[in-house]
Amino acid sequence: MIASDEVIALVGVGILLTALYLQSESFVDPLILGIAVQSLLLGVLLGWLAWTEHSLDLAVLAGLAVAVRAVFIPYVLRRQIRAFRWRIRERHAAHRVTGHALAAVAVAIIAWFVFQQTLASAFPEVGGALPFVLLLQGLLMLATRANTLVQVMGYLEEENAVVYAGALFAQGFPLFVEVVVFLDVLGVVLVGVILSIQRDVTGTPEESPLEELTG
Amino acid sequence: MTIALATLALYGVLVAPSAAAVLSVAPRDRLSELAARVGSLLAFAAAVTLLALGANGTWGPYLGLDALSEVFLVMITGIYATSAWYSKRYLRSVHRPFLTPQVYYALLSAFAFAMVFTLVVSDLGLMWIGVEATTVASALLIVLERKPTSVEAAWRYTLIASAGLTIALFALILLYSTTGTLNAFALAAHAPPATLPIEMAVALALVGYGTKVGLFPMHTWLPDAHSEAPSPVSAMFSGVLLPTALYAFLRVYRVLGTPVPSSIQYLVLAFGIATALVAAFLLQRQRSFKRLLAYSSMEVMGLALIGIAVGGVAIYGALVLVFAHAFAKSAAFYSAGNVLQAQGTTRIDELGGLGRTMPWTGAGWLVAGAAVTGAPPFGTFLGELLIVVGAVQAGLPWVGGLVVVAILIAFLGVNSQIGRMVLGDARGPPASAPRRDDGAGLIYLNLAVALAVGVASLAYLSPAIAHAASALGGAGP
Repeated sequence: MIASDEVIALVGVGILLTALYLQSESFVDPLILGIAVQSLLLGVLLGWLAWTEHSLDLAVLAGLAVAVRAVFIPYVLRRQIRAFRWRIRERHAAHRVTGHALAAVAVAIIAWFVFQQTLASAFPEVGGALPFVLLLQGLLMLATRANTLVQVMGYLEEENAVVYAGALFAQGFPLFVEVVVFLDVLGVVLVGVILSIQRDVTGTPEESPLEELTG
Repeated sequence: MTIALATLALYGVLVAPSAAAVLSVAPRDRLSELAARVGSLLAFAAAVTLLALGANGTWGPYLGLDALSEVFLVMITGIYATSAWYSKRYLRSVHRPFLTPQVYYALLSAFAFAMVFTLVVSDLGLMWIGVEATTVASALLIVLERKPTSVEAAWRYTLIASAGLTIALFALILLYSTTGTLNAFALAAHAPPATLPIEMAVALALVGYGTKVGLFPMHTWLPDAHSEAPSPVSAMFSGVLLPTALYAFLRVYRVLGTPVPSSIQYLVLAFGIATALVAAFLLQRQRSFKRLLAYSSMEVMGLALIGIAVGGVAIYGALVLVFAHAFAKSAAFYSAGNVLQAQGTTRIDELGGLGRTMPWTGAGWLVAGAAVTGAPPFGTFLGELLIVVGAVQAGLPWVGGLVVVAILIAFLGVNSQIGRMVLGDARGPPASAPRRDDGAGLIYLNLAVALAVGVASLAYLSPAIAHAASALGGAGP
């Protein structure tokens, strides 16, 4: 019989591994699939917590993670780039991939250390540092990447981190489901509306205009 | 009777902008314009009523008001009203707008509603939703003029502001898991012990909400969004959106009670000083007059944050500064809108002689420039003076010195550039429209409010702001 803590730790490590993978990937299509897998893993974790704790809120959050961030947003993003799915990538990224990967590992270690020093005693939950690490990984991606679509991945990773933290630390947080719905609405606005306007205004969905939108 | 009237006004201030947003999708342009104008005036009337009644308290588990929220409500609805009235003439001049007037007015009112909502809720989670809703409502307003640079600005704004707000949400999760409540009034009344997780939550809230306030180094979205948005929207961004985000941070900051732990006080102080100084220096090298005004707003937010961190009379100064700045800056943006319509450019080096070609707008802009940078006798001067005095009283004269340096640099930078455009030799194409300086009335109306805060406020507004300052643990002069 697998203990609940072991499931939480195992899936949490899986989420962390996807975060590290996303940092070292420069092609956009695998990045989209990577964030979908991360959201799916988060959905599994939330579903497990919902089942063991009989929480309807957590079940809804699990459903949202899977339906919106693992399926809908990746589907819309892949449609946006379908004409050039196999070649769209972060420009000039090849020589930076190693740097991104090293920076990601460094940030993860520092975040883990900071959490242990400041918050671990107040939040002794299994894998309690992981949401904090994931939040900083999302920020790192937003700060270091220039491609619009990759920045969306950073935003989604941040959202996953917040939902993860809410589920682990703050069950009973008033209106948390509504808050997450709001974050998802913003994600949809980001990918569905503003990127579409970009295509409408510039007249092309090609890579170069998208890459001009540096963060 | 008073309670019933206060309840009515509270619902009025919420319903008026939301109803205006819904009614703005009416099939005729004239009707949507009317809905926004009437809705904004009703919201302003309701906000003034709440301030006059001093209606402090809670309404159910999620709504609540105190003097601080009432002062901010008057400011937000006031700028919403003048921007709604100014929009008609601005929309007329936009070639191939991306949004129809109906959608524009609906989003403008929804934007105002999101800010009002942030101020009237007592739950920090709902407050966060309100601040996030301002991003959703206002992002599309930036792309009104259908330029690639507008889209880029909207993109940066949405992404950076949302990333910051995600950090703010993380802060609220830490706060809730430590205290078990998110009721801002309950937390302020019974401040929990300032443990490390709570201090961490406040620090993360500073970074998170600070992104939307435009604090250095998370400010990069601010000059782009302010410069690319249509002028009435820029006025709302600079005048009231940044203070709304500051308000949300202040509600979390209050959780620490008084005295604030020195680690957090110095952190807030450091962000404030860095923001004010960096903005003051950056605005010297701006080539676009709208970006110049944007950096000036950033400098004012830095000064306000310094006032909050210093405490005492400086908190009062910070609130006076923010209130007067909102009206003065909106006057400056309406002037900028008139100039942009007439000259077709935002480049400072292409403009000159506006005092002769557009005398009313030019004069208004000159005065607005002085007002936003703290010239006496405007309220901004009083606010900045009290921040310096507060810093000295708190035993932080070096902070007062740095504030004076930032104020002087910003004053010289803004006024020399505006002065050159208004009083310098005529350059660029001759003014086309509006020939009659349309909209100059709103410029002077807002400047009058900024002036009143400085001069005539002692009789009425000053006590109200003093109450607001005491809600933050500060004091009146």
